[in-house]
Amino acid sequence: MDDDLLARLRAGDRTAFADLVDGWSPALLRVARLYVSTPASAEEVVQETWLAVIGQLDRFEGRSSLKTWVFRILENVARGRGRAEARAVPWSSAFPDREDGPTVDPARFRGPDDRWPGGWTVAGRPQAWVPPAEDAAVAAELRRQLGNALAELPARQRTVVELRDVHGLSAEEVCEQLRISPANQRILLHRGRARLRTRLEDVYRDREGRGEERA
Amino acid sequence: MRSVPELPSDPSGDSALVVACREFVELVTEHLEGTLPDDVERAVHTHLELCGPCVEFLEQTRATVRLLGTVPAPTLPPAARDRLLDVYTRLHGGRSAGEA
Repeated sequence: MDDDLLARLRAGDRTAFADLVDGWSPALLRVARLYVSTPASAEEVVQETWLAVIGQLDRFEGRSSLKTWVFRILENVARGRGRAEARAVPWSSAFPDREDGPTVDPARFRGPDDRWPGGWTVAGRPQAWVPPAEDAAVAAELRRQLGNALAELPARQRTVVELRDVHGLSAEEVCEQLRISPANQRILLHRGRARLRTRLEDVYRDREGRGEERA
Repeated sequence: MRSVPELPSDPSGDSALVVACREFVELVTEHLEGTLPDDVERAVHTHLELCGPCVEFLEQTRATVRLLGTVPAPTLPPAARDRLLDVYTRLHGGRSAGEA
């Protein structure tokens, strides 16, 4: 698939290049923001990256995937820029938001002496989301709340969740980009997603409380 | 997308491991990532066969991930994008698309 795309890019297929720019620029911008301090700087970094990609396309040897190669160029450009902005903080030590403990309120589970220890209590049980999150009646409100909840996540969780779930990077790509271990990546993803699910659950509970879902 | 995975075909195996709801909610990400050790994954499957609320919890997690995929993300301004396409065409566009 990479070979085919690369052949088209080298052959001057403008549509192929446009698809690439449209598909990867949001994720590139997101990663650039790890290094530079403003959205405007991030845009410049991404443009410079694409210019470098255009210039070096014929020299790309395919030792890594095209995507990895592009992100590596971005990293080099962004690092240089980040240094210039005196903001080149190593990501994994910059935000000490390490946390432990359960991601779901322990009060929602039965105690150790119960007949079903660790099972959901009647009141704590997850209720079906009606209508489903994709339904037009709720999607816009849920998406808005999700955007807010994302912004409130601890920085590392937010970065991992956005790269994985908003921008569609793979676990391996996120680990490489952020220089974190697979286990660390999973923990950050888990904690971030858990908070976001809880937020959506709250939205549904509020709707229920307001009696909007009696049908 | 099915929300309840199949039971392992050999339930008579080393099935000492039991997962409670309280534990499942902390395993859900690794379950979705496919990174759980085999015996834990089997215990999770068994649990999901029996526990409607945890199936619901799993489905809610999936719905959250799906919805995240639709959150709008900033991209390059149109003018910058067009400029890049022009540079690309100037450098690579001289060749015919067929000769690759």
